[in-house]
Amino acid sequence: MKERNNTGWLFVLPAALLLGLVGLIPLITVINYSFFEIFILDRRFWVGTEWYNEIISSGRFWSSFGRSTFFSTLVLAIQIPLGIAIALCIPKRQFWVGLALAGVALPLLVPWNMIPSLWLSLLNPDTGIVGRMMAAFGWSAEWKMSAVQTWAVIIIMDTWHWTSLVVILCYSALTTIPASYYQAAEIDGASPWQVFRHIQLPKLQYVLLMAVLLRFMDSFMIYTEAFPINAGGPDGATMFLAVDLGEEIKAFNYGPSAARSVLYFLIVLTVAWLFTKAQNKIDAPETTKAT
Amino acid sequence: MFLRALPYIKITVLILFIVFACLPLVQMTMISFIATLPQPGTDVGSLTFGNYANILSDPNLRAAFGNSIAYVLINICITVPIAIPAAYAFSRMSFLGDKHLFFAFIAFRITPPVVLTLPIFQLFSALGIVNSVFGIALAHCLFNLPISIWILQSFISAIPKEQDETAFLDGYSRPRFIWTFLLPQIAPGIAVTAFFCFMFSWVEVVFARILTTTNGKPISMAINALFGFQTDIGLVMAVTVASIIPGAVLVFSMRHHLSRGFKVGKI
Repeated sequence: MKERNNTGWLFVLPAALLLGLVGLIPLITVINYSFFEIFILDRRFWVGTEWYNEIISSGRFWSSFGRSTFFSTLVLAIQIPLGIAIALCIPKRQFWVGLALAGVALPLLVPWNMIPSLWLSLLNPDTGIVGRMMAAFGWSAEWKMSAVQTWAVIIIMDTWHWTSLVVILCYSALTTIPASYYQAAEIDGASPWQVFRHIQLPKLQYVLLMAVLLRFMDSFMIYTEAFPINAGGPDGATMFLAVDLGEEIKAFNYGPSAARSVLYFLIVLTVAWLFTKAQNKIDAPETTKAT
Repeated sequence: MFLRALPYIKITVLILFIVFACLPLVQMTMISFIATLPQPGTDVGSLTFGNYANILSDPNLRAAFGNSIAYVLINICITVPIAIPAAYAFSRMSFLGDKHLFFAFIAFRITPPVVLTLPIFQLFSALGIVNSVFGIALAHCLFNLPISIWILQSFISAIPKEQDETAFLDGYSRPRFIWTFLLPQIAPGIAVTAFFCFMFSWVEVVFARILTTTNGKPISMAINALFGFQTDIGLVMAVTVASIIPGAVLVFSMRHHLSRGFKVGKI
């Protein structure tokens, strides 16, 4: 049991204040703006919930919402299992583990605005490694015309960029499993699948929850990487939620962009709430065991 | 049969994945050694170290590297000391509203920066910290602070609670206990936390873009500035390669900490 002690507040106060400054105050500002028509920031008119009505009733918002949901589903379905699999493939303690980890982590260290350029140059049919290989197999370089192929490029790019995070989180959770567990499993003649299901997977629960949370939210709100690949095209097939918002901000539509931001933040709150629910659920059986 | 082949399958899968992870980087490195714009003395398409020499001779690019390193370091110096006591409180104490506060922290971690760009820009202009590395460092706390608390909390939870109690019986105050006993034990955790802060902060571009219009541009924005009517793509790739090197060195030196693992506990 944790001790009941309200001095805990003193310990979290600096963190709460800092997040209040960079998180809460801007958020309240955005909520405030979302009810105004704003030409310049000093001159504004109350419009009530007009922007919200406009966004909610627009087909564009819901189609972007659908696209982002589908994109995140694909991302999670690919990256989480792949990340676990790769983490299981990294050997426990050998001298080249460090090199393997560094190799796996490299995509995470590339500045985000360079990632689309990297992939575009990789797919270039004249100079890119993959582009030339594909051209040799008769793949047309006109992938930008096809919605399916543009989606495939963005999904592969995102998988390349972010699977490593899942790998690193899972790998470090896996290394906390004592060797005696594996020895006991070996004596019992457990199959690799049983070892995974009953020894490794339970250890992974917490990090997986975190990985799912981070991957879901970051892919749902993908912005920097997705747009330059094909400018949201073809025919708006890759216009995601955050890209819409970015366009409004660039057009200096303060009111509508603020309303959109608030709607997105409500999505964030829902996801965070589901996350804490799931975390409590994982906690619950263990605490009953302990008492 | 399958069991005997398993280790080889694992190695093959791992190597395939590393090849996949490195493929775009190989392409990038190759282009970075090629002259892509006509310049006196070198033909377009020929092998050259000129792109790297250009980085060193361009004061903007040199400054950008300095800025990036500066804001990441400032960010770590703000985040880690604030996160340690918070992580300790979440791990050991139960206080009024602790669950709700943790929920709020998680919500801020996953709030996309693009949602808060405009008010953050206004707020930071009012505070006079736009166009400086300090502004970026502060803005990045939005996502780095929650994740740091989460990581550190898991390290603190892995330490037996009896130790706290013994120390208190011996007359140590909480802050002194944290300083003399806890910190040395969670040193690997602090290193991992700093690494994650670096990783998320170094590559972020949304805040970095809006907070630096004239001055204090980090590497990512300096690369953006290179795109223009006649883009020297070789130079762009060379700068990107150079921007990955500090992180790669850091991962390699952190490998033992990362592979020692962290046990993620409950709040």
